[in-house]
Amino acid sequence: MNELMLVARREIVTQVRSRTFVIGLLVSAVLVAALAFAPKLFGGPDSYTLGVVNSQRLPVTAPQGATVEWRTYPDEAAARKALLDGDADAVVVNGSKVLSEGELDERLGVLLQVANREMKLDAQGVRVPPLQTEAVRADARYDAARGGMATTLTFLLFFTLVGQMMMVAMGVVEEKGSRIVEILLSSMKPWQLLGGKIAGLGVVGLINLVVIVCGGLGAATVSGLVVDFPPGMTGIVVGVLVWFLLGYVFYATLAAALASLVSRQEEVGSVMNPLMMALMGTYFVAFFAANEPNGTLAAVLSWVPPFSAMVMPVRMAATEIPLWEVAGSAAVMALAVAGALALGATVYRRAVLRTGARLKIRQVLSQR
Amino acid sequence: MLELSDLRKRFAGGPDAPDGKVALDGISFAVQPGEMFGFVGANGAGKTTTMRIVMGVLEADSGSVAWKGRPLEHADRRRFGYMPEERGLYQKMSVAEQVEYFGRLHGLGPSAARKATADLLERLGLTERRGDAVQALSLGNQQRVQLAVALVHDPELLVLDEPFSGLDPIAVDALVAVLQERCRGGVPVIFSSHQLELVERLCDSVGIVSSGRMVAAGTVAGLRSAEGGTLRVVVRDPAPGWADGLPGTVTVAGDRHELRAVDADDQEILRRALKAGRVEYFGVEQPTLTDIFKEAVA
Repeated sequence: MNELMLVARREIVTQVRSRTFVIGLLVSAVLVAALAFAPKLFGGPDSYTLGVVNSQRLPVTAPQGATVEWRTYPDEAAARKALLDGDADAVVVNGSKVLSEGELDERLGVLLQVANREMKLDAQGVRVPPLQTEAVRADARYDAARGGMATTLTFLLFFTLVGQMMMVAMGVVEEKGSRIVEILLSSMKPWQLLGGKIAGLGVVGLINLVVIVCGGLGAATVSGLVVDFPPGMTGIVVGVLVWFLLGYVFYATLAAALASLVSRQEEVGSVMNPLMMALMGTYFVAFFAANEPNGTLAAVLSWVPPFSAMVMPVRMAATEIPLWEVAGSAAVMALAVAGALALGATVYRRAVLRTGARLKIRQVLSQR
Repeated sequence: MLELSDLRKRFAGGPDAPDGKVALDGISFAVQPGEMFGFVGANGAGKTTTMRIVMGVLEADSGSVAWKGRPLEHADRRRFGYMPEERGLYQKMSVAEQVEYFGRLHGLGPSAARKATADLLERLGLTERRGDAVQALSLGNQQRVQLAVALVHDPELLVLDEPFSGLDPIAVDALVAVLQERCRGGVPVIFSSHQLELVERLCDSVGIVSSGRMVAAGTVAGLRSAEGGTLRVVVRDPAPGWADGLPGTVTVAGDRHELRAVDADDQEILRRALKAGRVEYFGVEQPTLTDIFKEAVA
């Protein structure tokens, strides 16, 4: 165990001190933080400037969080100029048409039409009581924030998994190709070396995730987006970390096994192909699940390893999942992880000292 | 004492050799405490395979390795020092950190590893490079780091595969000094080398392997006397046909005739030579390790 800890410590120290790690982490944290401000930056304007020429001001009800300001222009020419200069978003002329610089903002168009109709009906003494809205699902008002979170999470999990998995594979080949592994394995068992490497790089992955998630949540607090977040965020974050670990150990162990078949860095890419395909597949399914968390495909695949490793946490962020379902699917995934560990460790142990030409997995497995 | 008995190893065959290749065909030898054992043989003779089996990197099909009278175990190997044939170091790790890391892996505590590293780097003249990444060092210096990695935990046995290859004469001397010091401290040292003069100069005993078999083993002096010397006589301008009927071979260079013979009646040859002309040289030459090696693997 002591050796395993030493190996893990070396991996962590080497990675965390490298410039690539620090820069990569900063860039991703900034990107995720920027996402927290995105709704503010790219969402519709918070205030509308409207103008009138020879008309009455329409009784526009400003949407939540937005304000409406009215201006009056002497004639249509002045109104057109104001629109081109960007001084107004839309101008009502003679109570019959609306001018805008480009295509009229969709939401503003609806608001103006509704207000126009309401005013005309009002003038004829017709009262239309507004429809009352009510969501059936309790947490429906968090849907938008949940969707955004789930999509962000899909990216984050995918890139962290790919990054750490490749790191494990490169590390295995570095040691095998340079024969350091011969010295290492004369002082420890293969499972200690493999375990230490996976544990160490897993910790590095966790550091990555925690920093980025904290950066994102911090930025959301500053930007005010946090009010849209559903309750139980702590549970979601913890869930994400646990699911990351399950998926990471699964993929990293198999990556180490495949990487131990080759002796040169150039061969890592091709030997990792099947695993990359599997991970890409998982990513697409998870992406789909982020948009349709209650669809049949998402519901089924959140039980099937290794898809569940990404689909389940993404669904957890996207919608409410009963705890028993999460726990059950985690148990199934844990079984798959145990299987991957048994298989991966066997291949690694048999292959890592056989330098030279690329080995075939069947040939390694059939060996006594 | 390290004792290898009847090690056998066959590598799995490929398409070109369906029966596989016999790497070791019954290798046995022993190395005593404080003894320096030189392992020589042609490429592919089985030196590296033997050393890898001793270090547990490879498993023998049959035969055994004993250490201090008991079967060699994993825990024993942690106290061995090993330098593999193809050098391996973490290229991006700094010299001192690397040596320290291997010290820790071999069971040293943090402060002991730090101290042993500092001492060793000083000894090998690497103190100034201690903070540099290994990839920034010259090959000779990388080799010194490799040696430091093998020595940092004060090993009870040293197994070095071609430790001298690629070193300049000064680095060779530094390495020799370190190895002799460890040897005097009672540590058995096994190393392989193609530099036979070096092996001859350094080693108490030598093992010559050929095609997976130990064809000759023993002290250098013992091998020499077993081989016997070569009688060499040089006669200036002798009468033609002077050596007719004498054993051995005659080579002629100008008016110098040189006769070489093994196991011959030296007195008779001397009498004939004196009669034939002026004897410029007469003596028995001891075979060098190179001679013994060539003879043994022929």
